Amino acid sequence: MAGQPHYREAHPLVFVMTHWVNLICMIMLAFSGFYIHFPFFPGFMGVARGMHFFAMYVIIINLTFRIVAAFTVKTATDLGSREVDTDIKNWLPQEKNKHQFFETVKYYLFLRKEGVISAKYGSLQKMAYLATIPLTYLQAYTGFAIYGPTMKGGFFAAGTTLVGGPMNMRIIHYFIMWVFIVFTMIHAYLANIYNFNPSKIIFAWKETDH
Amino acid sequence: MAQEAHGAIYDLLAVRGVSRRDFLKYCSYIAATLGLSEAAAPQIAAALEKGAKLKPALWLNGGSCTGCTESMAQVDTPDVATIVLELLSFNYFETIMAAAGKQAEDNIAETIKEGNFILVYEGSVMTGQDGNTLIVGNKEDGSPKKGTEILAEAATAAQAVISVGACAVDGGWVAAYPNPAGAMGVQAFLDKEGIATPVVNIPCCPMNPEWVVAMVVQWLLVADDDPAVFLEKTALLTKTYKDGITGADVTLNYPEYVVGSTIHDNCPRRGHFENGEFVSEFGSAEEAMGYCLYKVGCKGPQTFTQCPVTRWNRSVSWCVNSGAPCIGCGGLNWVDNNAPFFKRLSSMQMGGSLGNVQPGSVAAVVGGVAAAALVAHGLGMKAAGRIGDGPPMETAKKYDRKRMAKGGDK
Ligand code: HEM
Ligand code: HEM
Ligand code: SF4
Ligand code: SF4
Repeated sequence: MAGQPHYREAHPLVFVMTHWVNLICMIMLAFSGFYIHFPFFPGFMGVARGMHFFAMYVIIINLTFRIVAAFTVKTATDLGSREVDTDIKNWLPQEKNKHQFFETVKYYLFLRKEGVISAKYGSLQKMAYLATIPLTYLQAYTGFAIYGPTMKGGFFAAGTTLVGGPMNMRIIHYFIMWVFIVFTMIHAYLANIYNFNPSKIIFAWKETDH
Repeated sequence: MAQEAHGAIYDLLAVRGVSRRDFLKYCSYIAATLGLSEAAAPQIAAALEKGAKLKPALWLNGGSCTGCTESMAQVDTPDVATIVLELLSFNYFETIMAAAGKQAEDNIAETIKEGNFILVYEGSVMTGQDGNTLIVGNKEDGSPKKGTEILAEAATAAQAVISVGACAVDGGWVAAYPNPAGAMGVQAFLDKEGIATPVVNIPCCPMNPEWVVAMVVQWLLVADDDPAVFLEKTALLTKTYKDGITGADVTLNYPEYVVGSTIHDNCPRRGHFENGEFVSEFGSAEEAMGYCLYKVGCKGPQTFTQCPVTRWNRSVSWCVNSGAPCIGCGGLNWVDNNAPFFKRLSSMQMGGSLGNVQPGSVAAVVGGVAAAALVAHGLGMKAAGRIGDGPPMETAKKYDRKRMAKGGDK
């Protein structure tokens, strides 16, 4: 957590980049998504859709790249450490996270005083970060299911049938956007609650010592 | 060429004062509706000439408002479409037949007995209260005859069924929540009864008469009076949905030309959509300028019908053209999926005291609660003195400390 130094080993440049791309795409997608959902000012639909269609491909490629890179790039094994190991080991829940889930929940509910030992990320944090992966792909799926050029493809049409039609698919796509918004709110809050040093490393790649 | 009017169809045309020229024009229009090139017009004309030997048919109404009949019959000047439809000899047509009472009932029985007929079914199949929600006439023994029994009998004997209008397709508005009449579509009902007669569905509320005409023409053109050949040679698209009453997956046949693309894809206002030129309010300057109706609830992007191409009332106009947002009547479960009609997304039926809720309201509540919770939590973190350098850290996991206290591993 905070209190520890934030070294570049925790977030190598490539993951600083993927995080930036992710953030920018999410902002573009949510903004254009809101606009497509309800055009609150005139003259922008063509741009909004273009923006959405551009960012949706970028975010899918970016996420897929992030996953592949997890197997080749090395990251810090612990926050505040320069010792590194293959990122996927640090990204997935590991031995150090065991038995800590409920303790973490208790910590955030003010039911215990001391911070919880974690690895690079806490168990709750890992679950949240990992959950964004299937969620992003699911959002892509629901998106392609309402996307003119792909909606009739059997793979997407089957899902549309399952949820009871294209209107419901749109509503699901819209709701998943809100899941991302709530995730990002909580995520940005928790990442920066102690101080802004975590943001300095993930955005500016600037090391800090506490 | 001495191709002067001959055959029954030309007699009919002459009586109605329709010129051969008009007739051929209409044939090329139907060719377009069928997705054929204009070159197919003479072929269609020939098929109609040949077809003039009159095909027996029944037009049965289930739980319907007879809107589809209206749509079919409401022509003040007799035109080619009416004449083409007169190629079907309707032995029973509740709303417009002259026969009544026992004679009308006998006409059904006779047609069924003779077989080789086409069944056109309008309206939902009302299965509620054991089928007693729809009763038409009596049986031999004087007991009431249920609509479901009539349909089952007629469909079993028919060569093919054309289910016309949203109600016959999947129950339509009659089947909208909470569907007390137990309404369902023809295909769902035939599936339930194990009747295998092929069904072709013509969507919309009401159905577009031109699409029915096109189906009749298609029958005359390719079927050689054989439903199997008809199905094989007609471009069909299937859609599957879960019927609310039987819970079974029902697969519907549609003519591909009718449901192959969205209204939004063919809409003349699409340019305004892309430009971001929207009507926000009825009666506004934007509306007068014919801007896109997306914001006032147009369901064109989610509705797969050919309305903008075929148009309505003999091709005069259609919903969006006349200034009304598409309400999605060509879709499945269309009322529940599209109401409220003037809102972008449909409401979710939460039931109970919540009633119908807009997705946007749900989202705003969830987002608001999350934001409030974070603010409250932040205040708590501050009060707990964790801001700044974070909390004091444990030196070992609580789990391990407990285990150690108990004496650790043996
Ligand atoms: C990841 C891949 C994604 C794909 C393939 C995708 C695709 C689409 C498509 C095709 C549309 C309909 C556009 C139209 O019909 O003009 C749409 C609408 C929308 N998208 Fe996405 N999208 C994706 C991601 C996202 C994300 C991440 C968000 C939000 C964070 C989002 C929010 C929205 C919203 C709110 C709408 C409007 C829905 C409505 O109310 O009709 N999308 N998306
Ligand atoms: C308001 C904007 C955001 C801020 C301030 C922010 C901040 C951060 C910080 C500080 C970290 C490093 C965490 C740590 O080392 O303790 C991080 C990582 C991460 N963030 Fe964000 N973030 C933002 C937006 C997003 C969004 C929109 C998403 C995805 C929906 C996201 C997904 C992630 C993921 C998956 C990680 C793990 C990084 C990795 O291992 O590659 N973030 N973020
Ligand atoms: S009026 Fe409806 S169908 Fe036409 S472009 Fe606008 S949203 Fe699409
Ligand atoms: S435009 Fe829409 S509301 Fe109008 S008939 Fe077609 S599907 Fe129904």
